[in-house]
Amino acid sequence: MEPIIRFENVHFSYPEGEREILCGVNLEIAEGSFVAVLGHNGSGKSTLFKHMNAILLPSSGKVWVRDMDTADEDRLLDIRRTVGMVFQNPDNQIVANVVEDDVAFAPENLGVPSEEIRDRVDAALKQVGMYEFRMHAPHLLSGGQKQRVAIAGVLAMQPKVLALDEPTAMLDPQGRKEVIDTVTRLCREKGMTVVLITHHMEECVGADRLVVMSNGSIVADGTPLEVFSQVELMEREGLDVPETTRVLHELGLPKTAMDPESCAAIIASAKS
Amino acid sequence: MLKDITLGQFFPGDTPVHRLDPRSKILLLIVFIVALFMASGWAGYGLMVLVTALCMAISRISPRNIFKGLKPMLLIIVFTAALNLFYTQGTPLFPGWPITREGLERSVAMVLRIVLLIAGTFLLTYTTSPMALTDGMERLLNPLKKIGLPVHEITMMMSMALRFIPTLIEETDKIMSAQKARGADFENGNLLQRAKALLPILVPLFVSSFRRADELAVAMESRCYHGGSGRTRMKQLHFQALDLWALALGALLLAAMILLRHFGL
Repeated sequence: MEPIIRFENVHFSYPEGEREILCGVNLEIAEGSFVAVLGHNGSGKSTLFKHMNAILLPSSGKVWVRDMDTADEDRLLDIRRTVGMVFQNPDNQIVANVVEDDVAFAPENLGVPSEEIRDRVDAALKQVGMYEFRMHAPHLLSGGQKQRVAIAGVLAMQPKVLALDEPTAMLDPQGRKEVIDTVTRLCREKGMTVVLITHHMEECVGADRLVVMSNGSIVADGTPLEVFSQVELMEREGLDVPETTRVLHELGLPKTAMDPESCAAIIASAKS
Repeated sequence: MLKDITLGQFFPGDTPVHRLDPRSKILLLIVFIVALFMASGWAGYGLMVLVTALCMAISRISPRNIFKGLKPMLLIIVFTAALNLFYTQGTPLFPGWPITREGLERSVAMVLRIVLLIAGTFLLTYTTSPMALTDGMERLLNPLKKIGLPVHEITMMMSMALRFIPTLIEETDKIMSAQKARGADFENGNLLQRAKALLPILVPLFVSSFRRADELAVAMESRCYHGGSGRTRMKQLHFQALDLWALALGALLLAAMILLRHFGL
């Protein structure tokens, strides 16, 4: 299938900066997949994120969203309505004093007729489970709820891709779970392409594909199981692996599963 | 201290006042203010008090909330009353007293004027959501676009400012607690010392506001914001029969006040 986002040898550095932040990234994101991008601070993962809807443009190389070059200014709105972005701080991306007005912001910008905006807003709020809160003031909501409102605000554009840059970094464990569950459900049930940028290993376990970034390059790419199996590489990058993988690794057993039951089975069969 | 800020507060409800189109409410407030400044005699002020009380009753906004809004203005009100009371020339109320009859009348009139002015304004902001209010303003000011006034940008800035008031208050509280934990003292000392103590709050607040503004701009652009052109609205404004009646009553009030002034009542 044709990839929905394609990075072609993307290099990026800020005009005044000496250091190259992205050093030749090649990445294709398939439609309908859940891709997690893992990396520690300064690995270039947020810069990668900002290339997906032309907030940043590559210094050299190309980024394609479907058949649109992100450097093509005439297609800017089409690119941005295709790739919806959710940012780290929920407070700084909510624009209105009432939840439903905020969700309506993007379709209003796109010039959607009023009746359709109403439908889109209601549908988006229901998808993230915030419909009952549509008349609330955002600053009275919890962090997880705010972030779900922010996701609804993006969904109202009816994007093909939902890209999230550390959406859980400022949330408590409860809020973190709410957001990750919502995103996973959107991918599995609605066929939304999800790109989740994170530095929490646990949030990547449920993804279809895991990309690990370090110093502006992709250092590992595969299913979470394949990537986490490379325990030495992950340790070198200062990243965690799931406890189950670690146990299997320490025991020198084949790392063919991540869930506790299968791991227990592997250990049991190895003993006998 | 920070919790007292009532700017931009909104009490949702479903009264005729709440249902009025924000444009009519803004126009009515202007009519109300003009009428208020027309008042010259007791009959005029009496009518204005009556109208304000009536609007408050219809909108079911408790007078307590209005008075809460008046609190920050208390100093100005007292000052105005005292100045007018003591510095108006005329016949003394009692022989030998510094207070004159005219002074008393004038100070009561001035206090009424200020209180009614604030009450009327609060009635508007209490019964209209900030979004509707800025939306109404944008529509009312629309003709000024022709002379190059960036109407959409101005109203967008206003609604953003209103949106971020609670966020910034929360942040100020946080910074104050952080500074207090480091031994900062905001309560003691003379005015100058206390003003100086506020500096360590203002600097981080400013820095973080700029960061916020930057992030907000990126988030807005990511949601396809590209200025006011081609924008639609989810909640469209509609003039109804109710608005017509309200505006007619507003015109009537204005006419009545002009007549009363003419007859010096």
